[in-house]
Amino acid sequence: MKAVKVFINGVLNENPTFRMVLGMCPTLALTTAAINGIGMGLATTFVLVGSNLVISLLKNFIPQKVRIPAFVVVIATFVTVVSMIMQAFLPELNKSLGIYIPLIVVNCIILARAESFASKNSALLSIIDGLGMGIGFTLALLLLGSIREILGAGTWFGMPVFSDGFSPAVIMILPPGGFITLGLVLGLLNKLTGRAE
Amino acid sequence: MSEGVKLSIRLFIITAIAALALGITHAVTEEPIRLQNEQVSLEARKAVLPDAQEFVQVDLSEYKDEYPNVVEAYQGKSGDETVGYVFRVVSKGYGGDVELYVGIDANEDKIESVNIISHNETPGLGAKAAGLDFLSQYSGKPVDSPLTAVRGRATQDAQVEAITGATITSKAVTEGVNYAIELYGRVLKDGGAER
Repeated sequence: MKAVKVFINGVLNENPTFRMVLGMCPTLALTTAAINGIGMGLATTFVLVGSNLVISLLKNFIPQKVRIPAFVVVIATFVTVVSMIMQAFLPELNKSLGIYIPLIVVNCIILARAESFASKNSALLSIIDGLGMGIGFTLALLLLGSIREILGAGTWFGMPVFSDGFSPAVIMILPPGGFITLGLVLGLLNKLTGRAE
Repeated sequence: MSEGVKLSIRLFIITAIAALALGITHAVTEEPIRLQNEQVSLEARKAVLPDAQEFVQVDLSEYKDEYPNVVEAYQGKSGDETVGYVFRVVSKGYGGDVELYVGIDANEDKIESVNIISHNETPGLGAKAAGLDFLSQYSGKPVDSPLTAVRGRATQDAQVEAITGATITSKAVTEGVNYAIELYGRVLKDGGAER
């Protein structure tokens, strides 16, 4: 079935982080802990589903030649509206996800999906694409965040995983650790899937 | 009509609708957001001065030049009695501003507790300053003299132990607390020595 294929595509074959290598800025900056990965991933999924739906509904109204500025306006508006509503009416959710929302505006995954999927497909498929891509992004961030948190802080979701004698490699949760982890994981995945030349 | 004009009109319609949507959302959410923020800062003040039932903002405009780092001060009251003061202080840390709340018990002239509300310190090093292990050292410290953060063991009452590998952050937090206790000692203590 097409919907299932679209979903799996987002999680695996075209995983935004490991396959498309999109959205590297939040990926490197936020994966210092597993919980951050989940937070950013879920917030992105939410926005991705919403913006894909809006873009897909507007696809006949948006002229081809000015589509990029139109997408940017639609996405930025959507994110801002969501952020204001969350601040006003969902304080608990805002506390955990609120800090990630402004970062999503500059996340190119959203624009990439608007351009390459939502503007050419039906509303339902676009929602599923948003879900698949969002979950793929969440899982990737969770993996990177877990590796960095376990090695760099000796904890996973805040719980200690080593005995007291373990001295964490702080570099792993500093910016260089982000590049090191991402590079090694990308390399390993390419090796495993036989993509490396 | 030329194509350029058509495109401009389409784009204009999109931006106009976006602006309208933003305007409406702002109008609807402005008041709830303000109330939420107030609630959050009330809880932050309560956290460092739990005995207080209500907080009255203290006018600091005369001391603005002398204590630029003290952003706000509140008198914490329980009924008619003043139980203490809460200060919101900004101090320069290693990675940028460290913002903290300092609660001072006015009856016993000691620090009730200190809480960091925002910081940009190194994860795993300076960021530990926001943890209870470090911050609980400040609770119960006297407010008659400035505190110092020392490496290794604290041997005197007015000392706290700096975090290993994060001396700058530890000093920044201590300095922030010092701004609060200095202003308290000069201006607010015993109903305000200078007032």
